[in-house]
Amino acid sequence: MKKILQITLGIVTSVGGFLEIGSVTTAAQAGAAFGYQLLWAILLGTLCLIFLVEMSGRLSAVSKHTIVEAMRERFGFPFFFIVLVGMVLVAFLVLIAELGGIGFSLQLLTGIGFPWWAVPVSLLVWLLMWKGTFGLIENGASLLGLVTISFVVAAIRLHPDWSGVAAGLLPAMPQSDKAHYGFIAVSIMGASISPYLMYFYSSGAIEDKWDETYVGVNRFIAGFGMTFGGFLSMAVLVAAALALQPRGIQVDDFHQSALLMTTALPRWGFYLFAISMLFACFGAALEVSLAIAYFFAQGFGWNWGEDLEPSKDARFSFVYTIIILLAAVPLLFGIDPVKVTIMSMALTAATLPLAIIPFLFLLNDPIYMGKHRNGWLSNSVVAIIIVVSFVLAVISIPLQIIGG
Amino acid sequence: MRLERLLVLPVLFCLACKPPTPAERMDSMLSWLATARMTGEAWLRQTTPDTYSRQTLELSGEKIGQVATDLLKSPPSGVDAAALDALFTRSRVRVETMARLIAAKNAPDFGRQLDSLGADEKLVKRLVDSIEHKQ
Repeated sequence: MKKILQITLGIVTSVGGFLEIGSVTTAAQAGAAFGYQLLWAILLGTLCLIFLVEMSGRLSAVSKHTIVEAMRERFGFPFFFIVLVGMVLVAFLVLIAELGGIGFSLQLLTGIGFPWWAVPVSLLVWLLMWKGTFGLIENGASLLGLVTISFVVAAIRLHPDWSGVAAGLLPAMPQSDKAHYGFIAVSIMGASISPYLMYFYSSGAIEDKWDETYVGVNRFIAGFGMTFGGFLSMAVLVAAALALQPRGIQVDDFHQSALLMTTALPRWGFYLFAISMLFACFGAALEVSLAIAYFFAQGFGWNWGEDLEPSKDARFSFVYTIIILLAAVPLLFGIDPVKVTIMSMALTAATLPLAIIPFLFLLNDPIYMGKHRNGWLSNSVVAIIIVVSFVLAVISIPLQIIGG
Repeated sequence: MRLERLLVLPVLFCLACKPPTPAERMDSMLSWLATARMTGEAWLRQTTPDTYSRQTLELSGEKIGQVATDLLKSPPSGVDAAALDALFTRSRVRVETMARLIAAKNAPDFGRQLDSLGADEKLVKRLVDSIEHKQ
Protein backbone atom coordinates (compact mmCIF):
# COMPACT_ATOMS: atom_id res chain seq x y z
CA MET A 1 0.00 0.00 0.00
CA LYS A 2 2.87 2.36 0.88
CA LYS A 3 4.48 1.70 -2.51
CA ILE A 4 1.23 2.40 -4.38
CA LEU A 5 0.93 5.70 -2.56
CA GLN A 6 4.53 6.53 -3.40
CA ILE A 7 3.97 5.67 -7.07
CA THR A 8 0.86 7.84 -7.18
CA LEU A 9 2.58 10.74 -5.45
CA GLY A 10 5.65 10.29 -7.64
CA ILE A 11 3.59 10.36 -10.83
CA VAL A 12 1.55 13.34 -9.65
CA THR A 13 4.67 15.31 -8.70
CA SER A 14 6.37 14.39 -11.96
CA VAL A 15 3.39 15.75 -13.86
CA GLY A 16 3.15 18.87 -11.70
CA GLY A 17 6.88 19.48 -11.93
CA PHE A 18 7.28 18.71 -15.64
CA LEU A 19 6.58 22.07 -17.20
CA GLU A 20 8.99 24.93 -16.70
CA ILE A 21 9.86 28.04 -18.62
CA GLY A 22 11.92 26.20 -21.23
CA SER A 23 9.30 23.62 -22.13
CA VAL A 24 6.48 26.20 -22.20
CA THR A 25 8.41 28.75 -24.27
CA THR A 26 9.78 26.28 -26.81
CA ALA A 27 6.43 24.49 -27.20
CA ALA A 28 4.57 27.79 -27.58
CA GLN A 29 7.10 29.02 -30.16
CA ALA A 30 6.84 25.74 -32.05
CA GLY A 31 3.04 25.80 -32.14
CA ALA A 32 2.86 29.47 -33.09
CA ALA A 33 5.39 29.12 -35.90
CA PHE A 34 4.80 25.62 -37.29
CA GLY A 35 1.42 24.41 -36.02
CA TYR A 36 1.49 20.73 -35.03
CA GLN A 37 4.61 19.99 -37.09
CA LEU A 38 7.03 19.87 -34.15
CA LEU A 39 5.03 17.57 -31.87
CA TRP A 40 7.46 14.79 -32.79
CA ALA A 41 10.30 16.72 -31.09
CA ILE A 42 8.40 16.72 -27.78
CA LEU A 43 7.59 13.02 -28.22
CA LEU A 44 11.21 12.14 -28.94
CA GLY A 45 12.50 14.30 -26.07
CA THR A 46 10.00 12.77 -23.64
CA LEU A 47 10.90 9.20 -24.68
CA CYS A 48 14.60 9.95 -24.14
CA LEU A 49 13.81 11.55 -20.79
CA ILE A 50 11.78 8.54 -19.59
CA PHE A 51 14.73 6.21 -20.14
CA LEU A 52 17.32 8.58 -18.67
CA VAL A 53 15.26 9.37 -15.57
CA GLU A 54 14.53 5.67 -15.03
CA MET A 55 18.27 4.91 -15.22
CA SER A 56 19.12 7.78 -12.86
CA GLY A 57 16.69 6.45 -10.26
CA ARG A 58 17.77 2.82 -10.75
CA LEU A 59 21.45 3.71 -10.36
CA SER A 60 20.76 5.51 -7.07
CA ALA A 61 18.38 2.86 -5.71
CA VAL A 62 20.72 -0.03 -6.45
CA SER A 63 24.20 1.46 -5.94
CA LYS A 64 23.32 4.10 -3.30
CA HIS A 65 25.36 6.50 -5.40
CA THR A 66 24.02 9.52 -7.22
CA ILE A 67 25.05 9.95 -10.87
CA VAL A 68 27.57 12.62 -9.88
CA GLU A 69 29.15 10.52 -7.13
CA ALA A 70 29.41 7.48 -9.40
CA MET A 71 30.76 9.58 -12.27
CA ARG A 72 33.43 11.14 -10.08
CA GLU A 73 34.39 7.74 -8.66
CA ARG A 74 34.37 5.87 -11.99
CA PHE A 75 35.91 8.47 -14.34
CA GLY A 76 38.06 10.53 -11.97
CA PHE A 77 38.31 14.22 -11.20
CA PRO A 78 39.36 15.63 -14.63
CA PHE A 79 36.30 14.20 -16.38
CA PHE A 80 34.03 15.22 -13.51
CA PHE A 81 35.43 18.75 -13.65
CA ILE A 82 34.68 19.10 -17.39
CA VAL A 83 31.10 17.93 -16.84
CA LEU A 84 30.82 20.22 -13.81
CA VAL A 85 31.79 23.30 -15.81
CA GLY A 86 29.43 22.47 -18.69
CA MET A 87 26.45 21.45 -16.60
CA VAL A 88 26.71 24.21 -14.02
CA LEU A 89 27.02 26.94 -16.64
CA VAL A 90 23.94 25.70 -18.47
CA ALA A 91 21.98 25.07 -15.26
CA PHE A 92 22.88 28.58 -14.08
CA LEU A 93 21.37 30.06 -17.25
CA VAL A 94 18.28 27.90 -16.72
CA LEU A 95 18.03 29.23 -13.16
CA ILE A 96 18.16 32.84 -14.43
CA ALA A 97 15.39 31.97 -16.89
CA GLU A 98 13.23 30.30 -14.21
CA LEU A 99 13.61 33.22 -11.79
CA GLY A 100 12.77 35.53 -14.69
CA GLY A 101 9.71 33.40 -15.43
CA ILE A 102 8.51 33.78 -11.83
CA GLY A 103 9.10 37.53 -12.02
CA PHE A 104 7.25 37.80 -15.29
CA SER A 105 4.28 35.80 -13.96
CA LEU A 106 4.13 38.23 -11.06
CA GLN A 107 4.33 41.12 -13.53
CA LEU A 108 1.30 39.66 -15.35
CA LEU A 109 -0.62 39.41 -12.09
CA THR A 110 0.39 42.72 -10.53
CA GLY A 111 1.61 44.97 -13.34
CA ILE A 112 4.90 45.58 -11.49
CA GLY A 113 7.86 45.03 -13.84
CA PHE A 114 9.76 41.74 -13.46
CA PRO A 115 13.13 43.31 -12.51
CA TRP A 116 11.48 44.51 -9.28
CA TRP A 117 10.66 40.92 -8.42
CA ALA A 118 14.22 39.62 -8.85
CA VAL A 119 15.28 40.18 -5.24
CA PRO A 120 12.07 39.14 -3.40
CA VAL A 121 11.66 36.04 -5.58
CA SER A 122 15.29 34.99 -5.15
CA LEU A 123 15.00 35.54 -1.40
CA LEU A 124 11.87 33.38 -1.25
CA VAL A 125 13.50 30.58 -3.25
CA TRP A 126 16.57 30.75 -1.02
CA LEU A 127 14.46 30.83 2.17
CA LEU A 128 12.55 27.73 1.11
CA MET A 129 15.82 25.96 0.38
CA TRP A 130 17.31 27.08 3.69
CA LYS A 131 14.32 26.23 5.87
CA GLY A 132 12.47 23.63 3.81
CA THR A 133 12.87 19.90 3.50
CA PHE A 134 13.35 17.79 0.38
CA GLY A 135 9.77 16.54 0.67
CA LEU A 136 8.44 20.09 0.73
CA ILE A 137 10.41 21.04 -2.39
CA GLU A 138 9.71 17.79 -4.23
CA ASN A 139 6.04 17.47 -3.41
CA GLY A 140 4.84 20.93 -2.41
CA ALA A 141 6.01 22.84 -5.46
CA SER A 142 5.08 20.03 -7.83
CA LEU A 143 1.57 19.65 -6.41
CA LEU A 144 1.01 23.38 -6.95
CA GLY A 145 2.32 22.85 -10.46
CA LEU A 146 -0.68 20.64 -11.21
CA VAL A 147 -2.45 23.85 -12.22
CA THR A 148 -0.51 23.45 -15.50
CA ILE A 149 -3.10 20.81 -16.44
CA SER A 150 -5.13 23.85 -17.52
CA PHE A 151 -3.04 23.83 -20.73
CA VAL A 152 -4.64 20.47 -21.58
CA VAL A 153 -8.12 21.89 -20.92
CA ALA A 154 -7.32 24.89 -23.14
CA ALA A 155 -5.99 22.68 -25.95
CA ILE A 156 -9.08 20.44 -25.88
CA ARG A 157 -11.47 23.40 -25.79
CA LEU A 158 -9.88 24.72 -28.99
CA HIS A 159 -11.01 21.51 -30.78
CA PRO A 160 -7.77 20.36 -32.39
CA ASP A 161 -7.81 18.38 -35.61
CA TRP A 162 -6.71 15.04 -34.17
CA SER A 163 -5.50 13.66 -37.49
CA GLY A 164 -3.26 16.72 -37.82
CA VAL A 165 -2.02 16.16 -34.26
CA ALA A 166 -1.23 12.51 -35.09
CA ALA A 167 0.58 13.58 -38.27
CA GLY A 168 2.68 16.01 -36.21
CA LEU A 169 4.03 13.11 -34.18
CA LEU A 170 6.01 12.00 -37.23
CA PRO A 171 9.02 14.11 -38.23
CA ALA A 172 8.59 16.10 -41.44
CA MET A 173 10.47 19.07 -42.88
CA PRO A 174 8.56 22.30 -43.52
CA GLN A 175 8.41 23.93 -46.96
CA SER A 176 10.24 27.05 -45.75
CA ASP A 177 12.10 28.42 -42.73
CA LYS A 178 14.02 25.17 -42.26
CA ALA A 179 16.76 26.71 -40.08
CA HIS A 180 14.21 28.17 -37.65
CA TYR A 181 12.34 24.86 -37.61
CA GLY A 182 15.58 23.00 -36.83
CA PHE A 183 16.49 25.50 -34.12
CA ILE A 184 13.14 25.15 -32.35
CA ALA A 185 13.34 21.34 -32.64
CA VAL A 186 16.79 21.40 -30.98
CA SER A 187 15.53 23.79 -28.28
CA ILE A 188 12.58 21.51 -27.54
CA MET A 189 14.95 18.58 -27.16
CA GLY A 190 17.18 20.69 -24.91
CA ALA A 191 14.18 21.65 -22.80
CA SER A 192 12.95 18.04 -22.59
CA ILE A 193 16.22 16.27 -21.80
CA SER A 194 17.38 18.63 -19.07
CA PRO A 195 20.39 17.09 -17.32
CA TYR A 196 19.60 18.96 -14.11
CA LEU A 197 16.41 16.91 -13.88
CA MET A 198 18.41 13.66 -13.87
CA TYR A 199 20.81 14.93 -11.22
CA PHE A 200 17.90 16.14 -9.13
CA TYR A 201 15.99 12.86 -9.52
CA SER A 202 19.05 10.74 -8.74
CA SER A 203 19.84 12.80 -5.63
CA GLY A 204 16.17 12.68 -4.64
CA ALA A 205 16.29 8.89 -4.67
CA ILE A 206 19.12 9.04 -2.12
CA GLU A 207 17.34 11.73 -0.08
CA ASP A 208 14.23 9.51 -0.04
CA LYS A 209 16.41 6.50 0.96
CA TRP A 210 15.47 4.29 -1.98
CA ASP A 211 16.90 0.78 -2.12
CA GLU A 212 16.68 -2.12 -4.56
CA THR A 213 13.01 -2.67 -3.70
CA TYR A 214 12.27 0.68 -5.34
CA VAL A 215 13.40 -0.37 -8.83
CA GLY A 216 9.79 -1.07 -9.84
CA VAL A 217 8.44 2.09 -8.20
CA ASN A 218 11.09 4.08 -10.04
CA ARG A 219 10.10 2.51 -13.37
CA PHE A 220 6.43 3.44 -12.87
CA ILE A 221 7.20 6.99 -11.79
CA ALA A 222 9.64 7.61 -14.65
CA GLY A 223 7.37 6.00 -17.23
CA PHE A 224 3.98 7.40 -16.31
CA GLY A 225 5.10 10.68 -14.74
CA MET A 226 7.21 11.75 -17.71
CA THR A 227 4.62 10.53 -20.23
CA PHE A 228 1.85 12.61 -18.67
CA GLY A 229 4.31 15.50 -18.36
CA GLY A 230 5.08 15.21 -22.06
CA PHE A 231 1.35 15.50 -22.76
CA LEU A 232 1.37 18.86 -20.98
CA SER A 233 4.11 20.16 -23.27
CA MET A 234 2.17 18.88 -26.26
CA ALA A 235 -0.94 20.66 -24.97
CA VAL A 236 0.97 23.96 -24.86
CA LEU A 237 2.08 23.42 -28.46
CA VAL A 238 -1.44 22.52 -29.61
CA ALA A 239 -2.96 25.54 -27.82
CA ALA A 240 -0.38 27.83 -29.46
CA ALA A 241 -1.03 26.24 -32.86
CA LEU A 242 -4.75 26.95 -32.55
CA ALA A 243 -4.77 30.27 -30.71
CA LEU A 244 -1.69 32.07 -32.05
CA GLN A 245 -0.65 30.59 -35.39
CA PRO A 246 -3.83 31.49 -37.33
CA ARG A 247 -3.29 35.13 -36.34
CA GLY A 248 0.39 35.08 -37.31
CA ILE A 249 1.57 35.76 -33.73
CA GLN A 250 5.13 34.58 -33.05
CA VAL A 251 6.19 34.09 -29.45
CA ASP A 252 9.15 36.47 -29.07
CA ASP A 253 8.07 37.87 -25.73
CA PHE A 254 6.22 36.70 -22.61
CA HIS A 255 3.47 39.23 -23.25
CA GLN A 256 2.58 37.22 -26.33
CA SER A 257 2.60 33.83 -24.63
CA ALA A 258 0.22 35.22 -22.01
CA LEU A 259 -2.46 35.32 -24.72
CA LEU A 260 -2.18 31.53 -25.18
CA MET A 261 -5.27 30.57 -23.17
CA THR A 262 -7.41 33.70 -23.54
CA THR A 263 -9.26 32.27 -26.56
CA ALA A 264 -9.98 28.84 -25.08
CA LEU A 265 -10.73 30.01 -21.56
CA PRO A 266 -11.84 33.65 -21.95
CA ARG A 267 -12.69 34.25 -18.31
CA TRP A 268 -9.80 32.55 -16.57
CA GLY A 269 -7.26 31.86 -19.33
CA PHE A 270 -5.02 34.82 -18.64
CA TYR A 271 -4.87 34.21 -14.88
CA LEU A 272 -4.46 30.45 -15.30
CA PHE A 273 -1.51 31.06 -17.60
CA ALA A 274 0.12 33.45 -15.12
CA ILE A 275 -0.44 31.12 -12.15
CA SER A 276 0.69 28.06 -14.12
CA MET A 277 3.92 29.80 -15.10
CA LEU A 278 4.40 31.08 -11.55
CA PHE A 279 4.21 27.63 -9.95
CA ALA A 280 5.98 25.81 -12.78
CA CYS A 281 8.93 28.22 -12.73
CA PHE A 282 9.01 28.31 -8.93
CA GLY A 283 9.25 24.52 -8.71
CA ALA A 284 11.89 24.44 -11.43
CA ALA A 285 13.94 27.22 -9.78
CA LEU A 286 14.06 25.19 -6.55
CA GLU A 287 15.04 22.03 -8.44
CA VAL A 288 17.76 23.70 -10.52
CA SER A 289 19.28 25.44 -7.48
CA LEU A 290 19.31 22.16 -5.61
CA ALA A 291 20.72 20.27 -8.60
CA ILE A 292 23.65 22.71 -8.86
CA ALA A 293 24.37 22.45 -5.13
CA TYR A 294 24.13 18.63 -5.33
CA PHE A 295 26.58 18.61 -8.24
CA PHE A 296 29.24 20.53 -6.33
CA ALA A 297 28.75 18.76 -3.02
CA GLN A 298 28.62 15.23 -4.43
CA GLY A 299 31.54 15.80 -6.77
CA PHE A 300 33.81 17.32 -4.11
CA GLY A 301 32.72 14.89 -1.42
CA TRP A 302 31.07 17.43 0.89
CA ASN A 303 28.17 16.77 3.23
CA TRP A 304 24.91 17.26 1.44
CA GLY A 305 21.19 16.82 1.97
CA GLU A 306 18.24 19.14 1.80
CA ASP A 307 16.91 17.58 4.98
CA LEU A 308 20.10 18.44 6.91
CA GLU A 309 20.42 21.65 8.90
CA PRO A 310 22.46 24.21 6.89
CA SER A 311 25.09 24.13 9.64
CA LYS A 312 25.58 20.40 8.97
CA ASP A 313 26.20 20.90 5.24
CA ALA A 314 27.56 24.43 5.17
CA ARG A 315 29.36 24.21 1.80
CA PHE A 316 26.29 22.68 0.12
CA SER A 317 24.11 25.50 1.50
CA PHE A 318 26.74 28.09 0.56
CA VAL A 319 26.68 26.94 -3.10
CA TYR A 320 22.93 27.39 -3.54
CA THR A 321 23.01 30.67 -1.64
CA ILE A 322 25.67 32.11 -3.98
CA ILE A 323 24.08 30.66 -7.12
CA ILE A 324 20.66 32.14 -6.35
CA LEU A 325 22.23 35.49 -5.47
CA LEU A 326 24.20 35.60 -8.73
CA ALA A 327 21.20 34.53 -10.81
CA ALA A 328 19.19 37.49 -9.51
CA VAL A 329 21.74 40.05 -10.76
CA PRO A 330 21.05 39.91 -14.54
CA LEU A 331 17.31 40.02 -13.83
CA LEU A 332 17.75 43.19 -11.81
CA PHE A 333 19.16 44.77 -14.96
CA GLY A 334 16.12 43.66 -16.95
CA ILE A 335 17.69 40.86 -19.02
CA ASP A 336 15.01 39.30 -21.25
CA PRO A 337 14.09 35.89 -19.73
CA VAL A 338 12.81 34.62 -23.10
CA LYS A 339 16.20 35.21 -24.73
CA VAL A 340 17.98 33.55 -21.79
CA THR A 341 15.56 30.62 -22.02
CA ILE A 342 16.12 30.07 -25.72
CA MET A 343 19.89 30.39 -25.38
CA SER A 344 19.99 28.02 -22.39
CA MET A 345 17.87 25.39 -24.18
CA ALA A 346 20.19 25.41 -27.21
CA LEU A 347 23.26 25.25 -24.92
CA THR A 348 21.67 22.37 -23.01
CA ALA A 349 21.45 20.51 -26.32
CA ALA A 350 25.09 21.38 -27.04
CA THR A 351 26.28 19.87 -23.74
CA LEU A 352 24.05 16.78 -23.75
CA PRO A 353 26.74 14.25 -24.72
CA LEU A 354 28.72 15.19 -21.60
CA ALA A 355 25.71 14.37 -19.45
CA ILE A 356 24.59 11.20 -21.19
CA ILE A 357 27.76 9.26 -22.11
CA PRO A 358 28.47 8.33 -18.45
CA PHE A 359 25.12 6.52 -18.33
CA LEU A 360 26.33 3.90 -20.82
CA PHE A 361 29.28 2.97 -18.59
CA LEU A 362 27.74 3.37 -15.16
CA LEU A 363 24.54 1.46 -15.91
CA ASN A 364 26.56 -1.48 -17.28
CA ASP A 365 29.04 -1.61 -14.44
CA PRO A 366 28.40 -4.70 -12.28
CA ILE A 367 30.10 -3.04 -9.31
CA TYR A 368 27.39 -0.38 -9.21
CA MET A 369 24.43 -2.17 -10.71
CA GLY A 370 24.79 -5.86 -9.85
CA LYS A 371 21.92 -7.77 -11.42
CA HIS A 372 20.12 -4.52 -12.30
CA ARG A 373 22.49 -3.66 -15.14
CA ASN A 374 21.05 -2.31 -18.37
CA GLY A 375 19.52 -4.84 -20.71
CA TRP A 376 19.82 -4.72 -24.49
CA LEU A 377 16.80 -2.43 -24.81
CA SER A 378 18.10 0.19 -22.39
CA ASN A 379 21.59 0.03 -23.91
CA SER A 380 20.20 0.42 -27.42
CA VAL A 381 18.15 3.39 -26.29
CA VAL A 382 21.14 5.01 -24.53
CA ALA A 383 23.23 4.45 -27.65
CA ILE A 384 20.54 6.11 -29.78
CA ILE A 385 20.23 8.98 -27.29
CA ILE A 386 24.01 9.47 -27.39
CA VAL A 387 23.92 9.63 -31.18
CA VAL A 388 20.98 12.07 -31.04
CA SER A 389 22.77 14.14 -28.39
CA PHE A 390 25.90 14.35 -30.57
CA VAL A 391 23.85 15.48 -33.54
CA LEU A 392 22.11 18.06 -31.33
CA ALA A 393 25.45 19.22 -29.91
CA VAL A 394 26.93 19.71 -33.36
CA ILE A 395 23.97 21.53 -34.90
CA SER A 396 22.69 23.51 -31.92
CA ILE A 397 25.09 26.47 -32.05
CA PRO A 398 25.05 26.96 -35.85
CA LEU A 399 21.24 26.70 -35.75
CA GLN A 400 21.12 29.24 -32.94
CA ILE A 401 23.03 31.65 -35.16
CA ILE A 402 21.12 30.97 -38.38
CA GLY A 403 17.64 30.15 -37.16
CA GLY A 404 17.48 31.46 -33.59
CA MET B 1 45.35 23.90 -33.54
CA ARG B 2 47.21 26.88 -34.98
CA LEU B 3 46.18 30.37 -34.00
CA GLU B 4 45.13 31.31 -37.56
CA ARG B 5 42.67 28.40 -37.64
CA LEU B 6 41.20 29.47 -34.34
CA LEU B 7 40.70 32.97 -35.72
CA VAL B 8 38.70 31.59 -38.64
CA LEU B 9 35.98 30.36 -36.30
CA PRO B 10 34.66 33.77 -35.15
CA VAL B 11 34.77 34.96 -38.77
CA LEU B 12 32.64 31.98 -39.83
CA PHE B 13 30.24 32.66 -36.98
CA CYS B 14 29.92 36.31 -38.01
CA LEU B 15 29.24 35.29 -41.60
CA ALA B 16 26.58 32.90 -40.39
CA CYS B 17 24.88 35.68 -38.37
CA LYS B 18 22.78 36.89 -41.26
CA PRO B 19 20.30 39.67 -40.53
CA PRO B 20 16.59 38.89 -40.97
CA THR B 21 15.33 39.10 -44.55
CA PRO B 22 12.66 41.70 -45.45
CA ALA B 23 10.12 38.85 -45.60
CA GLU B 24 11.04 37.76 -42.04
CA ARG B 25 10.74 41.37 -40.88
CA MET B 26 7.31 41.60 -42.48
CA ASP B 27 6.31 38.43 -40.57
CA SER B 28 7.56 40.07 -37.39
CA MET B 29 5.53 43.22 -38.16
CA LEU B 30 2.43 41.13 -38.75
CA SER B 31 3.07 39.27 -35.49
CA TRP B 32 3.17 42.48 -33.44
CA LEU B 33 0.12 43.94 -35.17
CA ALA B 34 -1.77 40.70 -34.46
CA THR B 35 -0.54 40.76 -30.86
CA ALA B 36 -1.90 44.28 -30.45
CA ARG B 37 -5.24 43.30 -31.96
CA MET B 38 -5.61 40.12 -29.89
CA THR B 39 -4.69 42.07 -26.75
CA GLY B 40 -7.23 44.74 -27.66
CA GLU B 41 -9.98 42.19 -28.23
CA ALA B 42 -9.23 40.51 -24.92
CA TRP B 43 -9.35 43.86 -23.10
CA LEU B 44 -12.69 44.75 -24.68
CA ARG B 45 -14.05 41.39 -23.48
CA GLN B 46 -12.65 42.31 -20.04
CA THR B 47 -10.68 39.07 -19.87
CA THR B 48 -7.26 40.65 -19.27
CA PRO B 49 -6.28 43.25 -16.66
CA ASP B 50 -5.80 46.89 -17.67
CA THR B 51 -2.14 47.00 -16.73
CA TYR B 52 -1.18 43.95 -18.79
CA SER B 53 -3.19 45.16 -21.78
CA ARG B 54 -1.66 48.63 -21.63
CA GLN B 55 1.87 47.30 -21.21
CA THR B 56 1.44 44.85 -24.10
CA LEU B 57 0.08 47.56 -26.38
CA GLU B 58 2.96 49.87 -25.43
CA LEU B 59 5.41 47.06 -26.16
CA SER B 60 3.69 46.29 -29.47
CA GLY B 61 3.88 49.96 -30.48
CA GLU B 62 7.57 50.02 -29.63
CA LYS B 63 8.27 46.81 -31.59
CA ILE B 64 6.24 48.01 -34.59
CA GLY B 65 8.39 51.16 -34.61
CA GLN B 66 11.63 49.14 -34.38
CA VAL B 67 10.67 46.66 -37.09
CA ALA B 68 9.45 49.50 -39.35
CA THR B 69 12.79 51.32 -38.99
CA ASP B 70 14.71 48.15 -39.95
CA LEU B 71 12.33 47.32 -42.77
CA LEU B 72 12.48 50.75 -44.32
CA LYS B 73 16.28 50.57 -44.48
CA SER B 74 15.90 47.69 -46.95
CA PRO B 75 12.25 47.37 -47.98
CA PRO B 76 10.98 44.28 -49.80
CA SER B 77 11.48 44.57 -53.55
CA GLY B 78 8.54 45.88 -55.56
CA VAL B 79 6.94 47.59 -52.54
CA ASP B 80 6.44 51.36 -52.33
CA ALA B 81 8.60 52.36 -49.33
CA ALA B 82 6.72 55.63 -48.73
CA ALA B 83 3.35 53.84 -48.61
CA LEU B 84 4.84 51.23 -46.30
CA ASP B 85 6.21 53.94 -44.02
CA ALA B 86 2.79 55.65 -43.88
CA LEU B 87 1.04 52.35 -43.09
CA PHE B 88 3.46 51.43 -40.30
CA THR B 89 3.43 54.91 -38.78
CA ARG B 90 -0.39 54.91 -38.78
CA SER B 91 -0.48 51.46 -37.15
CA ARG B 92 2.06 52.42 -34.50
CA VAL B 93 0.16 55.59 -33.61
CA ARG B 94 -3.09 53.61 -33.42
CA VAL B 95 -1.56 51.05 -31.05
CA GLU B 96 -0.10 53.78 -28.86
CA THR B 97 -3.47 55.54 -28.83
CA MET B 98 -5.15 52.30 -27.77
CA ALA B 99 -2.71 52.02 -24.85
CA ARG B 100 -3.69 55.55 -23.75
CA LEU B 101 -7.40 54.77 -24.17
CA ILE B 102 -7.03 51.86 -21.75
CA ALA B 103 -5.63 54.25 -19.17
CA ALA B 104 -8.65 56.51 -19.82
CA LYS B 105 -10.99 53.45 -19.77
CA ASN B 106 -12.54 54.70 -23.02
CA ALA B 107 -13.94 51.50 -24.54
CA PRO B 108 -15.98 53.04 -27.43
CA ASP B 109 -12.99 54.91 -28.92
CA PHE B 110 -10.81 51.93 -28.21
CA GLY B 111 -13.17 49.71 -30.23
CA ARG B 112 -13.00 52.11 -33.19
CA GLN B 113 -9.19 52.15 -33.11
CA LEU B 114 -9.20 48.37 -32.88
CA ASP B 115 -11.36 48.07 -36.01
CA SER B 116 -9.02 50.38 -37.92
CA LEU B 117 -6.02 48.39 -36.68
CA GLY B 118 -7.71 45.27 -38.06
CA ALA B 119 -7.88 46.95 -41.48
CA ASP B 120 -4.16 47.87 -41.29
CA GLU B 121 -3.34 44.32 -40.30
CA LYS B 122 -5.20 43.00 -43.34
CA LEU B 123 -3.12 45.29 -45.59
CA VAL B 124 0.11 44.02 -44.06
CA LYS B 125 -1.12 40.41 -44.35
CA ARG B 126 -1.83 40.96 -48.04
CA LEU B 127 1.68 42.37 -48.49
CA VAL B 128 3.22 39.40 -46.66
CA ASP B 129 1.25 36.97 -48.84
CA SER B 130 2.33 38.72 -52.03
CA ILE B 131 6.01 38.70 -50.92
CA GLU B 132 5.79 34.99 -50.06
CA HIS B 133 4.07 34.33 -53.39
CA LYS B 134 6.92 36.04 -55.28
CA GLN B 135 9.46 33.91 -53.39
